[in-house]
Amino acid sequence: MVSSRKKVFSFAITALGLLALFLAAVNTGSLKVTPLELFKGLFIAYSENVATIYDLRFPRIFIAIFGGAAIAVSGVLLQAVMKNPLADPGVIGVSSGASLTAVLITAFAPTLYFFTPLFAFLGGMTAFLLVYSLSWKGGLSPLRMILVGVAVNAMFTGLMSAFNSGTGSSYSGAASIVNANITMKTWDDFQTLLLYVVIGLLASLFVLGPCNLLALEDKTARGLGVNVTRSRIIISVIAVLLASISTAVIGPISFLGLIVPHIARLLVGSNHKVLVPYSILLGAFTLLLADTLGRTIAAPYEISASVIMSVAGGPFFILLLRRSRQGYGQ
Amino acid sequence: MASKVFTVRNLSFAYGGQPVLRDLDLELHEGKITTLIGANGCGKSTLFNLMTKNLKPDEGEILLRGGNIAGMRLKDFAKEVAIVHQYNTAPADLSVEKLVGYGRTPYHTMGLSPDPQGDEEKIRWALEITHTYKHKDKPVSELSGGQKQRVWIAMALAQDTKVLFLDEPTTYLDIRYQLQILKLIRQLNREYGITILMVLHDINQSLYYSDEIIAMKDGRMIAHGLPEEIVTGELVQEIYDVGLAIRDVDGKPFVIPV
Repeated sequence: MVSSRKKVFSFAITALGLLALFLAAVNTGSLKVTPLELFKGLFIAYSENVATIYDLRFPRIFIAIFGGAAIAVSGVLLQAVMKNPLADPGVIGVSSGASLTAVLITAFAPTLYFFTPLFAFLGGMTAFLLVYSLSWKGGLSPLRMILVGVAVNAMFTGLMSAFNSGTGSSYSGAASIVNANITMKTWDDFQTLLLYVVIGLLASLFVLGPCNLLALEDKTARGLGVNVTRSRIIISVIAVLLASISTAVIGPISFLGLIVPHIARLLVGSNHKVLVPYSILLGAFTLLLADTLGRTIAAPYEISASVIMSVAGGPFFILLLRRSRQGYGQ
Repeated sequence: MASKVFTVRNLSFAYGGQPVLRDLDLELHEGKITTLIGANGCGKSTLFNLMTKNLKPDEGEILLRGGNIAGMRLKDFAKEVAIVHQYNTAPADLSVEKLVGYGRTPYHTMGLSPDPQGDEEKIRWALEITHTYKHKDKPVSELSGGQKQRVWIAMALAQDTKVLFLDEPTTYLDIRYQLQILKLIRQLNREYGITILMVLHDINQSLYYSDEIIAMKDGRMIAHGLPEEIVTGELVQEIYDVGLAIRDVDGKPFVIPV
């Protein structure tokens, strides 16, 4: 068991790490400001450097923070619903389902741009229902679910690439979703993300008890008065919402929803009342780290955060697969 | 005549066209330990799942103190009937006390308890009666099989119900722990008046520890009554299709299982 001291310590260190990383991210690039200058420029007097950073770097930083938190929590919730530590919105195709619809809307019905997040949600939900129903065979086998998820994911990703290539990548808005590129994001994008992510994260805080109870056998949870099917549906909808929204704005990010909850469980334990809040912090930290690293490694060229996550996440996923035992949380 | 806690009427159930229960009628009496016995595949697990709202009847009805359980919310049912299933899992780092605390879930609204102190008393009582209080801070995963089973029973007891269902509570346990569990069940019945329905594999333990026996065959009830009155060589032959001798031990029938 994880001691409460270790939990508090983990929260404190991660929060500090996020703050430090934020300052580093602000200063990654040709313009540099000290934290003091930054504070002055933001709240006291106008400074050209700070204003530029505010317009160019702040949106992507905040998008990384909120998107990372959303994807991590989405992973935790999907894992609770499917009783499978390998469930991840990227791996099982929810993200690619969401981005496919987002791409189609951006390209074919730009007037509906405002509703992109909702269409992305429908796309994510479609992928999720496909995976859930196709892998159901008198119970959810973790491995079968991953296999079906890989197939669904490949199909949606393929359709998306086909669309992108077929149009000569001329729809730049669509292409930025396909490539999960957050370089050119603006405050408008952030506002879209913020609204839905805050709704999703708040909603997730109301299902922490049911998440814990779902870790028991279904019959046992039902015996405690839990409507297991209804809980699963509600939790899944929140998880798919969080993943789809962040995908609509950022693009599909793989493995984040897998790695963060796994490390979080090691650090703060499997009680969702602690796990979800901590995953918010660690998810924000991880995606911001990936984005900042991507901006640094090959500067002045940028490697997108999703590429960093895939490269770092692939081996991690294999490690988890090898170590995973039959059940979830055992 | 003791009053009826459960009444099952004309119950039928089929799995994919294959009838499992046919026109079953039975009653559970208040304050008694009743055990379901029958050969593998006779429908006792299905009956157990129907009576615990894990399955829905195709036909017929199951009444709990006169009210049809089909119309009861799971939460209200969980305040009346607690269930210990045969197979259980819990997260590796979940403590015994937290797990037993889950037994209070039916009394909570939106995850909040209207009476935290009452919860605490019930949890403590459940831990003490099952002799698991000393393990309360340990993770469930570190306990032995017998201790784990007592913890699952403690969780059910924390639900504070007058009826307790147990599905093969002694399976996977060695004889010492089997007896511990059966004695605990009898203590819960005798001292706290909890009505008990269980499914047991061992016919002699069923006969010894039960007030009433319900014998099933091919989805039908073929006998219901006191062990010493109904259990005969013919009944055993009919249930299990083997001829076994029966002896008298402490006034209870004992089937020689060889």
